[in-house]
Amino acid sequence: MGSFGHYLATHFDTLKAEFWFLFVGGVANGLLYAMVAVGYTLVYGVLRLINFAHSEIFMSGGFAGYFVLRAMVGATVPAGMTSVLIIVLGIAAAGTAGAAAATLVERVAYRPLRRRRAPQLAYLISAIGASYFLFNLAGKEFGHLSVSDPQPYINHTVFTIFGAPVLMYDLIILVVSVVMFIALDWLVGRTRLGRGIRSVAQDAETASLMGVNIDRTIAITFIVGGALGGVAGFLYGLNIGVVYNMGFVPALKAFTAAVLGGIGNLRGAVVGGLLLGIVENLCVVFVQAAYIDVVAFGILVLVLLVRPTGILGERLGRTA
Amino acid sequence: MKLRFSKTVAAIASSALLVMAVPAVVASSSGAAVKHRQPLPTYVIGYEGPLSGGNLQLGLNMVFAVELAINQYNANVHHRQFILKLARYDDQGDPTISPTEAQAAVANQKLIAIVGPAFSGATAAAEPYYAKAHVATVSPSATNPSLATKGWNNFFRVVADDSVQGPADANYLVKTKGFKSLYVVNDGSAYGAGLAQAVATQAQSDGAKVTTATVPGTGQCNNGTASATEYQAAATQVVASGASAMFYGGYYCDLGLFLGALSSSGYTGVVMSGDGSDSPALIQGTTPASAANGVLLSCACSASNNAAFNKGYQNLSNFSAATATYAPESYDATNTIIAGMKALLAQHKKITRANLVAELHKITYKGITKIVKFQKNGNIAGSAIYVNKVENGKIVQLGLE
Repeated sequence: MGSFGHYLATHFDTLKAEFWFLFVGGVANGLLYAMVAVGYTLVYGVLRLINFAHSEIFMSGGFAGYFVLRAMVGATVPAGMTSVLIIVLGIAAAGTAGAAAATLVERVAYRPLRRRRAPQLAYLISAIGASYFLFNLAGKEFGHLSVSDPQPYINHTVFTIFGAPVLMYDLIILVVSVVMFIALDWLVGRTRLGRGIRSVAQDAETASLMGVNIDRTIAITFIVGGALGGVAGFLYGLNIGVVYNMGFVPALKAFTAAVLGGIGNLRGAVVGGLLLGIVENLCVVFVQAAYIDVVAFGILVLVLLVRPTGILGERLGRTA
Repeated sequence: MKLRFSKTVAAIASSALLVMAVPAVVASSSGAAVKHRQPLPTYVIGYEGPLSGGNLQLGLNMVFAVELAINQYNANVHHRQFILKLARYDDQGDPTISPTEAQAAVANQKLIAIVGPAFSGATAAAEPYYAKAHVATVSPSATNPSLATKGWNNFFRVVADDSVQGPADANYLVKTKGFKSLYVVNDGSAYGAGLAQAVATQAQSDGAKVTTATVPGTGQCNNGTASATEYQAAATQVVASGASAMFYGGYYCDLGLFLGALSSSGYTGVVMSGDGSDSPALIQGTTPASAANGVLLSCACSASNNAAFNKGYQNLSNFSAATATYAPESYDATNTIIAGMKALLAQHKKITRANLVAELHKITYKGITKIVKFQKNGNIAGSAIYVNKVENGKIVQLGLE
């Protein structure tokens, strides 16, 4: 026990020294997970299914942003308003591409099944099929090697928190994601459209009897979730680069975050994403990077054992 | 087949042209009408490697260099003591095909030695046939360490094997560069973990303080399933360790992601990696690309700085020697064989397969990549590992470690 105590003591010292460095990076990662997790949760809310093609929606956003950057960024790194303009354009393109890909998946892979009242398992297979089709198509069109995005800004330190630098990249993620989360919360909670989404999530049949257009509501849900996923793909690609299968791992993490926070619960998805991102980053103090996933999924299992519906509980209908 | 035929024709035609430029010795080279001298004997140097299939380019890189060395020897009409011919044996890099090709090569009575086989697996399968017939094989590229342990007296290679790179890299960082504190990362792959382990062990015995970590390959790079977001945290650990140099055992794509994170984490030390990262794709995959500048990359392979070779190679192959991996080594392998044959004649010995094997064990030949001298087991003497550096977005060779 003495040596274990010593182990903990030295590692807690390290944690104290590095906490804010790891925390800042963890928040940035967590916000990205959250943006993708929201897409899973929205679709789960209205359709009661996991959209396994969401990783490819993320990827389409990444590539759309990449092509915008490649077209706009010249030999020198832009600065000032030019940077802002390029990033806004990239976000718009990525959001549009994500929404378009989501609409395509909904029309081709889900709507025909819904019309025929197919069993849940058929949706799952259809989603996996759409996912494979899309990422292989991207691999064929754009190659199988990861390429880095041209940088639209200089990634300097903007300010520090307790000595830990907050980079321009972290700040962009923070601003973009918070704006989108607030807008989404308002959309779902305060608008007529949001009421439609919530009513379909609660009881689709009754909602339809009350005059809610289910097809339209579901289509819009996919568009909203797809736009967020696409923008997340762009922000992820900014720092990491784009490749045909870039969506797989982040989407798996985001799915985990959605379940952690309570699948079907929008605020839960954000909480789950942030928690996962921060815990993952902090645990490198105690274990090597090789075991990050072990810790992350261990926590998921523990949370689900205590709260099977996730941290904030399940329902999109009420909590949002 | 068409390619082989046309290249042979080209080789013969070009040597014939050169010969015609010096009318006095036309007769001696054609052997048709002897005037001054005896006709020169003809020997065949074979190349065994992939000349079709998925690894074709690697084989082409090599065979053009072999052909260039042979053409250059034949072109020296005043001093040549024999005529050399090239025979191509296409094993596709495949261990199931190489025994057949080896037997065909052995059956060729004029064949004196082989440049190759190119691939380690193909070499292991073919070597028993060459060994039995005492045909010297000088490989420009087979790097599996076990090949030198089989007791094949005829086996030689002009590149360092895979076990040399790690210790050489550690010595370079600790002894040559004087870094006393090393952070050694591996990507969890068999290659990366093995290389990193070798670096860590040697660096420790060189007296450096070594911290090791596994940062697994990511799904972004198809090297694993880890999330590419792990690098920010991993980079924080590197910076916090206070190490002045980091070694990365792994491949270019993941290293590129790591470099981006290191740069944004404010890491100012040196980064070094091995041949798995020695690719221009490293720079393309690093965000921002400037974060790759200053990275050291080691490789048993050498870039050619020899202008004469580069020019001759470009003329013959129609592609640049700069991107032709193992072309300089193939050129050296061929010239080492030729030097061995000349040495035999200088000692008034007959050029036979067995005599050449014995001669190659003694030879010292100054090639364009290194001084070629073999150990008893056929491995190249010395570490023979090159270190390259990324400078302004380009990989530049600094020299031997």
